[in-house]
Amino acid sequence: MQRFEFPRFEFVGRFARNRGALVGACLILVVALMAVFASVFFPTDPLRIVGLPELWPGEDPEFPLGTDSLGRDILSMIVHGARATLLIGLFASAVATIIGVGVGAIAGYFGGWVDEISMRVAELFQTIPNLIFVLTIVVILGSTLTNIVIAIGIVSWTPIARMTRAEFLSLRDREFVQACRSMGMSDLRIIVSEILPNALPPVIVLSSLVVAGAILFESAVSFLGLGDPNVASWGRLVGDGRQLIRSSWYICAIPGIAIMITVLCLNLVGDGLNDALNPKLRDR
Amino acid sequence: MSLLSLRDVRVQFNTAGGVVRAVNGVSLDLAVGETLGLVGESGCGKSTLGKAIMKLVPVSGGAIVVEGVDIAPLNRAQLTDMRRKVQMIFQDPYGSLNPRSTVGRSVAQPMVLAGWKPEATAERVETLLRWVGLPSDAKQRYPHEFSGGQRQRIGIARALALSPKLIICDEPVSALDVSVRAQVINLLEDLKSQFGVSYLFISHDLSVVEHIADRVAVMYLGMLFEVGGRDQIWKSPQHPYTRALLAAAPIANPKLARARQRTVLQGELPSPLNPPPGCPFNSRCPMAQDRCRVEKPVLRPVANGAQAACHFV
Amino acid sequence: MSGQALPLEITDLRTTLFTRRGEMKAVDGLSLSVGAGETVALVGESGCGKSLSALSVMRLLPDPPARIVGGQVKLNGRDIVPLPEEAMLGIRGKEIGMIFQDPISSLNPVTTVEKQIVEVLMTHTELGRGQARVRAHELLELVGMPDAARRLDAYPHQLSGGMCQRVVIAMAIACSPSVLIADEPTTALDVTVQAQVLALLKKLQADAGMAMIFITHDLGVVAETADRVVVMYAGRKVEEASVDELFENPLHPYTVGLIGATPTPGAERAERLADIPGMVPPLNALPQGCAFAPRCKRVMDRCLTEKPALTVPGPGRLVACFAAQGG
Ligand SMILES: Nc1ncnc2c1ncn2[C@@H]1O[C@H](COP(=O)(O)OP(=O)(O)OP(=O)(O)O)[C@@H](O)[C@H]1O
Ligand SMILES: Nc1ncnc2c1ncn2[C@@H]1O[C@H](COP(=O)(O)OP(=O)(O)O)[C@@H](O)[C@H]1O
Ligand code: SF4
Ligand code: SF4
Ligand SMILES: [Mg+2]
Ligand SMILES: [Mg+2]
Repeated sequence: MQRFEFPRFEFVGRFARNRGALVGACLILVVALMAVFASVFFPTDPLRIVGLPELWPGEDPEFPLGTDSLGRDILSMIVHGARATLLIGLFASAVATIIGVGVGAIAGYFGGWVDEISMRVAELFQTIPNLIFVLTIVVILGSTLTNIVIAIGIVSWTPIARMTRAEFLSLRDREFVQACRSMGMSDLRIIVSEILPNALPPVIVLSSLVVAGAILFESAVSFLGLGDPNVASWGRLVGDGRQLIRSSWYICAIPGIAIMITVLCLNLVGDGLNDALNPKLRDR
Repeated sequence: MSLLSLRDVRVQFNTAGGVVRAVNGVSLDLAVGETLGLVGESGCGKSTLGKAIMKLVPVSGGAIVVEGVDIAPLNRAQLTDMRRKVQMIFQDPYGSLNPRSTVGRSVAQPMVLAGWKPEATAERVETLLRWVGLPSDAKQRYPHEFSGGQRQRIGIARALALSPKLIICDEPVSALDVSVRAQVINLLEDLKSQFGVSYLFISHDLSVVEHIADRVAVMYLGMLFEVGGRDQIWKSPQHPYTRALLAAAPIANPKLARARQRTVLQGELPSPLNPPPGCPFNSRCPMAQDRCRVEKPVLRPVANGAQAACHFV
Repeated sequence: MSGQALPLEITDLRTTLFTRRGEMKAVDGLSLSVGAGETVALVGESGCGKSLSALSVMRLLPDPPARIVGGQVKLNGRDIVPLPEEAMLGIRGKEIGMIFQDPISSLNPVTTVEKQIVEVLMTHTELGRGQARVRAHELLELVGMPDAARRLDAYPHQLSGGMCQRVVIAMAIACSPSVLIADEPTTALDVTVQAQVLALLKKLQADAGMAMIFITHDLGVVAETADRVVVMYAGRKVEEASVDELFENPLHPYTVGLIGATPTPGAERAERLADIPGMVPPLNALPQGCAFAPRCKRVMDRCLTEKPALTVPGPGRLVACFAAQGG
């Protein structure tokens, strides 16, 4: 029974059929545009004191989201913070994906003792309490953005490795892989150019969720005052507003809501990607 | 000198349930220009034998001699020469092509790996697609845009790429509809008369094998039970299993079907984890005697000029 | 037979698929009747509508997308198309049974063989649990299950494909239905097991006088089992004849093609198989006239615009082809 499908075009349609995913993708796009054009909207340094301290949102039309304890414009800080927050999320997810795909691909493709060892190592990483691990690294190696990104990447790679391994396990015995072997193709080439493109869709879904997870991690780290002092991420904004949480709670709440919405949207996008990329749900 | 000669080839897999001797001492010769049919029930080790010849599974014993060179002990780097001589076509038209590679890329792979220049490769791809009866715009398209029969043609084009002397066809038509199956069988026969390639044709469909093969080998639980010319096997099968298999195969002719004497073989293929001792067929064989339960028969010449492995023929 | 209704009489059955790509006529005016003790083979390549015809008769269509849009299915004289689903529950398994291609997936993986058979028996008969269990054992013996007593407690995954198919057959015949539909019951099985299952079905049918529709794409199996053959192409019946006549003197070019494309050991060997060019068209791209026209060796101008109707070329035969009717 032949079926003629055109995955590339249908992908968009299937993704868009999931309303939540569509909304999520649009909001993420807004955040991304904010991040990219932050200096266009707010050319002045967001950390500069521009008005009276602790202006509530709406109190002064010049600062629609109010000012913080030092009199800095919260809207400007949110827009600029989007850049740091998204970059941290993306880079941490990239680190996790590179480690996870690398380990998972090798474990799944070669199997046997390579697989055993890789999966034991993955289990080891899973048993480490994630936040404590990140904090430890940051405390020991210093609160730089790079260290935070790498630390988050290191605690987030295991699910990606498992997923990649499972995909490789099911793909490595498929006949097209056998055909490549029978032509004498090298293992590396089979892994990279034949199996990986087929294994990636579910990994992409997971990576998008890791971005959300990384944003939360970074927020937690910054909230505890261990973030990179030179970077005004949303997490840092929440942390900075901590002392005034009883009186001027909006200083914490506004960046907190920004984080929440972004994380929620990333999860919705992940769901949408899953629906769109998962062939079992097709043609519903 | 035969093109391919197998001597006591063995392949075993270590599974959770124990050791599976999927190929358990197979010896076989295949001459230049010959089509050898390999038949047997599912799980008897046909594909594993084919993959052993391609060195896709670890060979645990015996010799696999391709044009005088034993490839069993060679490693992957030393196999380049042999890969050019022996190629394989797979059973599943949906699984044997990379869904994310264009047809052109899949068919070009053997040339790319052999270090051909891009122009020569492109030209060769055109030629190959023409030979197997596909339009040349096929090369920009993806496998899912093709039907099962067309995909099988793509697999055949890829196998033909470096002008092999032997193609191992693992159930190449089993997944295809009757009319498309006939198209692919005819294509394989045309290519054979055009290029003189030999086939090891693996199939569970006896009527297809009867049509295409010059000689036939009958396999059961990892060993060969009977090897002989097509007519020897069909007109005067010697081994009890061969006879049972032929009696079970449906014939697309109601008069012939009704006329033939039919004793239906009882039971099923025993678990390869736990094969019966002695002759592996003794649990189902109508002729089995005490000797069959202790002594394993070996292939030897029998009355019809073929070879059979049974104590009592 | 006079006066008495046939076990199964299908008249002008139409089943349409309502999909996002449009409406597709998967079964387009199928008429077919089966007498007691008779086996009618329904033949055609993949996608010709065989399974959907069977599921229509069972009223087991996947809805959406498939729905019966017209025609009658008379089971022992009663039209079951208009019946509500509750009424069908009492009919399926009792008056009409079905066997599917994939035996393992048509059994419940988490229930023992015995429980599954007992449940069928208790739904449709007056038997108590104890009697039903005795009957389940008898049925397994009847279908030739090796070591039947021990297999009662087995789960489907512990059985081979052939044994699962025997269990499915036992369930299908548990209440002695008057009609049995077998959809490619041996396609997933090895030749030797296929021969066992075919012999079993023949014997059960002869003993109980069941009417059987046997769906297959394998002409060898047709020749071995059928009394009468209906050839389907693109949702329509294109030829019907007794099995001997069909193989001796096929009239429709599609039937001729199928027979020529099937290698037949022992018959005169053709050097080349007579293949049919092209492939079965997808249902949403059927040609305007005769659906077989793009692949037909005898195609004429008329075939491109007009759909051939079924005509009677001889006693007990039907064919839908202009060339076979002599232009
Ligand atoms: N659930 C479904 N949704 C959409 N189309 C369907 C569905 N089921 C069947 N079809 C289409 O209906 C047509 C007939 O299907 P059917 O399964 O009856 O064919 P068949 O001859 O039995 O094929 P096969 O031998 O492959 O099972 C095919 O074109 C098929 O693609
Ligand atoms: N990779 C494997 N690991 C374990 N057992 C295997 C493997 N491949 C094949 N086998 C077993 O070897 C036997 C022969 O398999 P195969 O050659 O695929 O059979 P056929 O092609 O005749 O259907 C079977 O019992 C099968 O289960
Ligand atoms: S050796 Fe014995 S069991 Fe084996 S096939 Fe011959 S007679 Fe049968
Ligand atoms: S009606 Fe015409 S096209 Fe159709 S089968 Fe007959 S001759 Fe061929
Ligand atoms: Mg196989
Ligand atoms: Mg079907």
